[in-house]
Amino acid sequence: MRSFVRLLGFLRPHLRGSLWSLVLSCLAIAGTVAIPLLLGETVNAIEDGDRDAVLPLALAIVGAGLLRLGLAVPRRLISGKVSLGVEYDLRNRVYRHLQSLELGFFDRQQTGQLMSRATVDLQSVRFFLGYGLIFILQNLLTILLAAAVMFVLQPSLAAITLAPVPLVILAAARYGRHSRPALQEVQQRIGELTAEAEESISGIRVVKAFAREQERQRSFTHRVTRVFDQSMFSTRLRAFYNPMISFLPNLGLAAVLLVGGRQVVNGSINLGEFVAFNTYLLMLMFPMRMLGIALGMAQRAVASGNRVFELLDRAPRLEPPAQPRSLPAGGGQIRFDHVTLSYGDERPALVDVTLEIAPGETVAIVGGTGSGKTTLVAAVGRLYDVTEGAVSIDGVDVRDLDPSELRHSISLVPDDGFLFSASVRDNIAYARPEASFEEVVTAAQRAQIHEFVESLPDGYDTLVGERGLTLSGGQRQRIAIARAIVTDPRVLILDDATASVDAATEREIKHALREVMEGRTTLVIAHRLSTISLADRVVVMEGGRVTAQGSHEELLDASPLYAEIVDKGMPRLGAALSGLDGGEPDEDVVGEVGAARG
Amino acid sequence: MRLVPRPDAGSSGRERRRRLRGVAELLRPYRSRVILAFVSLVLATAASLAPPYLAKLAIDEGITPGDLGALNLIVGAFIVAALLYWGATYLQTYLVGWVGQRALQDLRLRIFDHLQRQSIGFFSRRKTGVLISRLTNDVQALDQLVTDGIVTLFSATLTLVGTVVILLLLDAELALVVFVATFPLLAAGSVAFRYFSAGAYRAVREKIANVTAYLQETLSGVRIVRAFGQEPRHVERFAELNEEHREVNYRTVQLNATYFPGVEFLSSVGTAVILLYGGYQAIDGNITIGVLVAFVGYLQSFFDPIQQLSNLYVTYQQGMAAIDKIFDLLDTEPDMQDAPGARELDTIRGDVDFDHVWFSYAGPDCDMEESALALRDVSLHVEAGETLALVGETGAGKSTVAKLVARFYDPQKGAVRVDGNDLREVTQASLRRQLGIVPQEGFLFSGTVRENIEFGRPGASEIELMSAARAVGAHEFIKALPEGYETDVGERGSRLSAGQRQLVALARALIADPRILVLDEATANVDVHAEVAIEEGLRKLLAGRTAIVIAHRLSTVMRADRIAVLHGGEVVELGSHDELIEAGGAYARLYRSWAEQAAA
Repeated sequence: MRSFVRLLGFLRPHLRGSLWSLVLSCLAIAGTVAIPLLLGETVNAIEDGDRDAVLPLALAIVGAGLLRLGLAVPRRLISGKVSLGVEYDLRNRVYRHLQSLELGFFDRQQTGQLMSRATVDLQSVRFFLGYGLIFILQNLLTILLAAAVMFVLQPSLAAITLAPVPLVILAAARYGRHSRPALQEVQQRIGELTAEAEESISGIRVVKAFAREQERQRSFTHRVTRVFDQSMFSTRLRAFYNPMISFLPNLGLAAVLLVGGRQVVNGSINLGEFVAFNTYLLMLMFPMRMLGIALGMAQRAVASGNRVFELLDRAPRLEPPAQPRSLPAGGGQIRFDHVTLSYGDERPALVDVTLEIAPGETVAIVGGTGSGKTTLVAAVGRLYDVTEGAVSIDGVDVRDLDPSELRHSISLVPDDGFLFSASVRDNIAYARPEASFEEVVTAAQRAQIHEFVESLPDGYDTLVGERGLTLSGGQRQRIAIARAIVTDPRVLILDDATASVDAATEREIKHALREVMEGRTTLVIAHRLSTISLADRVVVMEGGRVTAQGSHEELLDASPLYAEIVDKGMPRLGAALSGLDGGEPDEDVVGEVGAARG
Repeated sequence: MRLVPRPDAGSSGRERRRRLRGVAELLRPYRSRVILAFVSLVLATAASLAPPYLAKLAIDEGITPGDLGALNLIVGAFIVAALLYWGATYLQTYLVGWVGQRALQDLRLRIFDHLQRQSIGFFSRRKTGVLISRLTNDVQALDQLVTDGIVTLFSATLTLVGTVVILLLLDAELALVVFVATFPLLAAGSVAFRYFSAGAYRAVREKIANVTAYLQETLSGVRIVRAFGQEPRHVERFAELNEEHREVNYRTVQLNATYFPGVEFLSSVGTAVILLYGGYQAIDGNITIGVLVAFVGYLQSFFDPIQQLSNLYVTYQQGMAAIDKIFDLLDTEPDMQDAPGARELDTIRGDVDFDHVWFSYAGPDCDMEESALALRDVSLHVEAGETLALVGETGAGKSTVAKLVARFYDPQKGAVRVDGNDLREVTQASLRRQLGIVPQEGFLFSGTVRENIEFGRPGASEIELMSAARAVGAHEFIKALPEGYETDVGERGSRLSAGQRQLVALARALIADPRILVLDEATANVDVHAEVAIEEGLRKLLAGRTAIVIAHRLSTVMRADRIAVLHGGEVVELGSHDELIEAGGAYARLYRSWAEQAAA
């Protein structure tokens, strides 16, 4: 109930519209309810042979219809506006809230789950608030008003004929509650089937290579059967409830014929009232069903509302400082002072790390998966807060800095070269939208990507990212480098690409990096020797601790782990092959090159 | 504004026949149920049309003459009709659902089976997304047609025809007056509403898709958003998209706000017309009051079907388009079928022979003079147990050689033989069972680690499984996973790192115990530890087998028995590392270039 009241709170900004649509609704219902009465009157007039009364009554019916039309149109326009407004507010609010949450929140959530809250749950809430509530009120009012008129006309007949109404509402409510989840489960299983098909088709070369077509067919059959079973469950629900919901009101109609007919014969009601009763029952069939379904919807909306509130109630944990300090002039000196960082109750990702990086120095961070490399660099930009100790830049604790200033002073080049679906220009100017075109070009030139961008069909206006042109890993990486330097940051943080790039690209990236690292403090998570060779100093991490540091030569002697890394991390043949060609990533046995060449 | 095309526009008679044949074929196994469903549909429709007529009888035969016995009988008939409606609707809903879902299930399986029987060339020529959409979106569009569309089509048509017939029988003159007064406006209004609302709803779908896509993108890129502190901009942009959606959605509100109240109004006009025209007739004694009441009752069963039928049009069009696309796919004959009388290949030694092989991806019937050749007169012999490294730049033909060994394609000229057997004369399954293929990207299927390794040889024992994993150096990392071998690897193995996927793929190849191994060495940069492990794993895997390796690492090349250097689809050099260095050709230049790079 409490979350129901909270849900209603979303209607507050649209109070006027809600009230208006309610008022118009009531008036329109009056028109609707008047028609059967007028119909009854007309039948009486006809029965009495009162020729003069027929025309005015028929015109009155048209008049009532016209009144209803005149009220229903603005009512629908207003309530539609309210419903869309609620949806708009709710969606914006959820999104704004998501954007206010710290990165750590997203690490522990699956994107799919969040998406489902922000779409499916939101949908059911806004559907209820937008339409469901009005449906409930409107249908309830229609039923009540019609019932009132019927009781005034003939109480005992009204009582008998309206008896099935609660049953219909109850049945429809049950159906409304069960059918949607059943249908969602069908969709869910179709999703599984799609994933299965996608995998089998993308992996067709592996399937063929191992001659495993039959197994795949079997497992696909399983998925298809699951879809069938659930569809049939949903069909059975429909087959059970729908005919029943349609049948029940017929009992009322039968009662009108049987009891009402007798009353006409014995004179306690007239034929017109009998016809009016009959018409009322026919008229109420739809509102009864809709009221039930809307009530079922309300229950689900509350459940969905709870999930949405759970999200909205999760407070952001990286609070900006109350009195932010501004970054003093400096060259980007970074200090880790006994830093421990834990993401939750697990083993801390960083354990007592103390590290000092001089202004302008380039430090390569090396270590295995889970050694804490990524966390270390993320702590500099305050993407996560340290659990103990402090990280400072040019002498100021990052927690005391204005977050937006901090993030303008530190730029990240991610390992996957993530780009948004926007033009190259917008992607490069991402952190500084007001940057001039010349500045964008300069950044691109320094990142060694300018010539490539110029060669694109629309140059800097070419759309890239998920819904744009597909770029190779190296191209994305270099655009990401340009994006990072457009704010002229003091500190550059670089997560070396793990994706395959060919030798020529590798050389160009290295060249680009050397260029942009000039005069900045740079932290590089290094996966390749070529990147390590850019660094002044190498830091080796293991299990969240810095286990060794020094120059490449020093570490070869001092750190067995580092020696192993360097020994085994042999350069690729690709580097040599680049002497012959300078093309794209090498073809793959399972690749699609054949198609391109065919 | 373009008018909606006629459903049959552009479709030939042949296509229409194919649609009908295809649908008939799908339904044939269930024909008795289809007939039963149709019968119950007719019964349900008939029963639903009974009440207004029975109300007329009640008034004219029971109430007006005061005949209570007749009234009881009529009410009895009324309840029987209602029960019949209940039963018939239940049966019809259930049967249509069952047959429809079963037919879709059959169709999905048929498409999937058809896809699986296609050659690799087929998949290279087509986009995965398009093929999947045949199995999902198109079948889904048919689902709409099958479960909703067909029932609506029949029941609405039957109801409409039934109502018109009943009204004409009750009183032809009054019926015609009512039709003329309401039908033209209702029909025109409904068609116009469908036309405009189809466009409006499409716009809403597009806008909401933009909103969802933006949400998805900024959630997956949330790290970048945070790193650059650009949250306010995204919130602003999101609000813009949200606003665009609200605007186009308001158009549907406007359309609904005019159409539905309009139909309601028309129905009160219809009632008034019946009462006015029919009323005078009744007063003159030409018709009974019962007829009048029945007319008012039937007005709704006249209005509803027209609205429903106009709704069906879009579903029908989408369904037909889907059927055409599905049958286009099912009509493609799979190429690369086993030849008639293809032999089962016995256990092989692993001798691979390329005999003057010419190959082009342009297809089996292409003109060898004009098409781009991927391989040009390649002759190679790999002894059983030998490792041959293929070296060359992109497009030199390395992976083509590998694909021909697995018989993913047939050469246009020349022959590929294993132990002297031309691959075209043996069954593909018997060849591939003895062949291990390790692609560059370790492609895994969702499921557990165990299932993925077992993929190489279903039914492998626990010990075999673990020793394969141990041999390639995957056992340790697997053990360290939260649930060991039972850990779910996620879609396409996404929960494992690239290196880990590669190791599992190696174990999968090893457990198949292939005689011939075709390996595309990974170029992906993996974790240093994984890289060491992979090299070890590879060494184990290659031992004692014939191996053809597309090499990207110098260490691999140097370990090979012989090296083939490809250039432009031809083998330009062939020999051991030392021999080729000695010869001072392309490989020697390559090697020198590498050495310089390493030193730099």
